[in-house]
Amino acid sequence: MAEEYVYTVSELNRTAREIVEGGLGGVWVKGEVSEISHASSGHMYFTLKDPSAEVSAVRFRGRSPILSAIEPGTTVLAFGKVTIYEPRGRYQFVATLVQPVGAGILQAAFERLKQKLQAEGLFDPEHKKPIPAYPTRIGVVTSPTGAALHDIVSVLSRRWPISEVLLFPSSVQGDAAAEELVAALDRAIQFSQTSQPLDLILIGRGGGAAEDLAPFNDERLARAVYASPIPVVSAVGHEIDFTMADFVADLRAATPTAAAELVTPDASDVAGQAARCVDRATRALYDRLAECELRLQAGLRRPLFRTPSRLLETAEQRLDLQVVALGRAPRRTLARPHERLARLDAVLRLSSPTRPLERGFSITYADGTSRPLRDARSVTPGTHITTRLAKGRLTSSVEEVDEE
Amino acid sequence: MKIEETLEKLEEITSALEREDIPLDEAIALFEQGLTLAASAKTALDEARLKVSKVVEKAKGVLDLEPFDVS
Repeated sequence: MAEEYVYTVSELNRTAREIVEGGLGGVWVKGEVSEISHASSGHMYFTLKDPSAEVSAVRFRGRSPILSAIEPGTTVLAFGKVTIYEPRGRYQFVATLVQPVGAGILQAAFERLKQKLQAEGLFDPEHKKPIPAYPTRIGVVTSPTGAALHDIVSVLSRRWPISEVLLFPSSVQGDAAAEELVAALDRAIQFSQTSQPLDLILIGRGGGAAEDLAPFNDERLARAVYASPIPVVSAVGHEIDFTMADFVADLRAATPTAAAELVTPDASDVAGQAARCVDRATRALYDRLAECELRLQAGLRRPLFRTPSRLLETAEQRLDLQVVALGRAPRRTLARPHERLARLDAVLRLSSPTRPLERGFSITYADGTSRPLRDARSVTPGTHITTRLAKGRLTSSVEEVDEE
Repeated sequence: MKIEETLEKLEEITSALEREDIPLDEAIALFEQGLTLAASAKTALDEARLKVSKVVEKAKGVLDLEPFDVS
């Protein structure tokens, strides 16, 4: 007979722990709480019992953020695993979630669904679609009479009125709401594919009690949001907790107002951006003209070129004046950037470098090209040419080419 | 043209003008084009009024638009 293996106490406890942990995994336990003690480490030790048995339990610090006040005598639903504390050989339940029964059942179902969807990859960041920077057509899935629609419309009217709102009405609370939300989202997708493409969809409602938000925790809605080919932004009014729609949406906002602000630029910033472009373009052109003038002065002495040189000088002086005007513009505080844009626009229009046309100069193009002719040798008798005057154009045919 | 395309085109023109490798006459033509784009962006932003419509299902699978008054 082979000699029996002799365990040390440590080995015995370790082996027992491995068997217990491996054999049970995560479990739900319902019981009454007694003998709570809060350790200075932040861990909470307590006993769970029913009329005929008890088990010691611990909830480690930071593991369960949604813990309501739990007192001795409360019946709770706890999720966790069974383990053995090796140094004492003591069997205990390590809870990761402890909720009073009632609130707990709802919360437990939420956690279970969340874990399931997470495992399936519905929350993966790689799946999140980017939100367009300048949306012009925004689908809104919500109640036609709710605060959410009102808030979204008022933000968009002020901030980005160039967009268009398409409302897909649905109820947002009650037993039928989840199904209606899914149907409205489907309609939005169908509309986008068959009628007018939507840039994004906002789905949400104003704030409410936990049970009012229940439709937004529905599995069918979560799956529909995930499957949407159009970016979906969740806009459910609640600052603290998350709904399932929040986890699965491409972007989550804490309120409908915040959602509308997150997905749009401010029109006055955009006008400012356009004004800065005009500013840069003017400076670039000014530099070009200055450089051309230098080249003319340095290299071209023939009388023929004096006139264009003066022409450039004149254009440049005008641009000088503009640059002075531009330099001053930012220091003046104009109420709105697009007023500034309007002012710039007017200044620039008055002194456009093509104004010399009005003084009798003209530009000639060979037929069908957009580059002005510079050299008589680039055309031959018979070539059709177009001459641009201050007002109108002439089309002629070349009779003779004098290369001088 | 969508506002996004107008802004992109304006930015493109501005960058082209800053590159300095294009002939002067083309630069002037681009500059004029830029002014037109800036003016059209301004007009679009100034005159925009948010439009709100309700999409309803007239019959199974048939979607239709109705004007919607939020206030």
